[in-house]
Amino acid sequence: MSGQGNAASAASMTANWMAYAAILVVGILSLFSLYMGFQNYGDNQEVALIYMVIGTAGFAAIGYLLFRSRAPIAQDKLDTMKVEVFTTLECPKCQQKRVRDFKRGDFVFKDDEPCTRCDGLMLITKIARKKEEEKKQESTWL
Amino acid sequence: MTFLIGQVLQQETDLNMILQTLFSFAFIVYLFYAQRIQSLQMLRQIEVTLRKIKVVKDEARNIAVKTITEIGKPTVDISQRVDRFIDFFNIGLENMDPAGIVDKMDHMLKTNKHIYEAEVKALAPKATVSERSNLENLIEVTQALNMFYKILRHFYLLGKKTQNIYIILQVQMILPQIVQLVEAYKSGIQAFQEGMPIGDSVGPIVTAKLMHGYPQREVAEEIVAAEIPYEGRNLVVFKAKGPGGSVGNPDEGLINILEERQGKVKIIITIDAAGKLEGEPVGQVSEGIGAAIGGSGKEKFRMEEIANKYKIPMHAIAIKQGMEHVVAPLVEPLFDATEKALESVKRIVLDYSEPGDTVVVAGIGNTIGVGQ
Repeated sequence: MSGQGNAASAASMTANWMAYAAILVVGILSLFSLYMGFQNYGDNQEVALIYMVIGTAGFAAIGYLLFRSRAPIAQDKLDTMKVEVFTTLECPKCQQKRVRDFKRGDFVFKDDEPCTRCDGLMLITKIARKKEEEKKQESTWL
Repeated sequence: MTFLIGQVLQQETDLNMILQTLFSFAFIVYLFYAQRIQSLQMLRQIEVTLRKIKVVKDEARNIAVKTITEIGKPTVDISQRVDRFIDFFNIGLENMDPAGIVDKMDHMLKTNKHIYEAEVKALAPKATVSERSNLENLIEVTQALNMFYKILRHFYLLGKKTQNIYIILQVQMILPQIVQLVEAYKSGIQAFQEGMPIGDSVGPIVTAKLMHGYPQREVAEEIVAAEIPYEGRNLVVFKAKGPGGSVGNPDEGLINILEERQGKVKIIITIDAAGKLEGEPVGQVSEGIGAAIGGSGKEKFRMEEIANKYKIPMHAIAIKQGMEHVVAPLVEPLFDATEKALESVKRIVLDYSEPGDTVVVAGIGNTIGVGQ
């Protein structure tokens, strides 16, 4: 398995180097093209325009290539795996309510900790993830 | 601008010739290599997803080892044993002659459960029963992620080796669903690691709200029941025994309860989490008929069979949620939906039974983080 992994990583590195070499070549040509465009700008407007279009297209291609080669690296980084979860405790005697962060061992309907207001024992009545940010609403007619 | 380009291209210049050659070359390349370019693009997409899944499954494996070591306090290094168990498999039943397959499935599921219990007990000797159940679930998530990775890697390498666009295309087409499933399992890691209620726990939460404070007894393996008086009716409420991560054997629970009463039950109500369709809100409570239960199908079959034997109507309450919620820590709208589901249970009891009747209420799902 690790052999396969090494081969895959070597192939990936080769692909990256090839991409960077292509970027370099296209970059030089595009720069040359833009230079020619500016050189011809006063004398031969039409030819200058063509050179500029080619140069600009070259840089656009570079941008796209860079975006493509960096995308996988960026996507490898995962969002944090942890979410915030809270525990709600209620005292059955005095109805005192308390919310705190979830801790390992909590479960719904567990007699957890002494009530701070009376001598009762607080009961865990709710465990839930903190409300997510509202996502963009779909069209109202749906 | 188009006019200007057209003007220049029509002139017989060196530049025109170069451009014509370049365009012709690009056209010829595209003519012969279009499919190859497409394959490479698709392979790249698969590779990106594969890398992502690899990170998730490695993380899940490390968390599993860390959590088992923390909770179970083993005396030896468990990494190798965990790695071996992550690769554990069960062979599907032969269904050439389907008669009696439910019993065979029951036997296989019990064997599977026994193996998991034994393995986790050996890995985490100091863990409590509840903690062991949670660790079993954590290992199951790790196994699922490992399986996703291995299957996707298989098709990626096969596609790369054969350059067969149809192999690559098939995988590329289902990538969004695979990513969705992996994301769902990923969010389950924290829940099983810490023992938090998950989306699938909504059924047990509803029944726990009814049962809490009443005497309880075990009616089947990992199934607890309580008898609750409600508006002159006798509610027999059961759920998997919490707070460890378990679904229990609700079919056996229902069979035992009905047999005890020789089928003298007016209605059966099952409450479970159900997949929502796109556009449906999370936590929508819907009512219907039938056995609201997922899983292998064995439980559903047996519940339907016993209900049919005594001709008892089965009512179902579904709490809708997305695939990403099922094993993830419970979101607030789903917890709030349990209150709405409870109201539905009470209304169905009042509408479809008379005082003096017995009604069975079953909370189906994983009871992780939910006591009773």
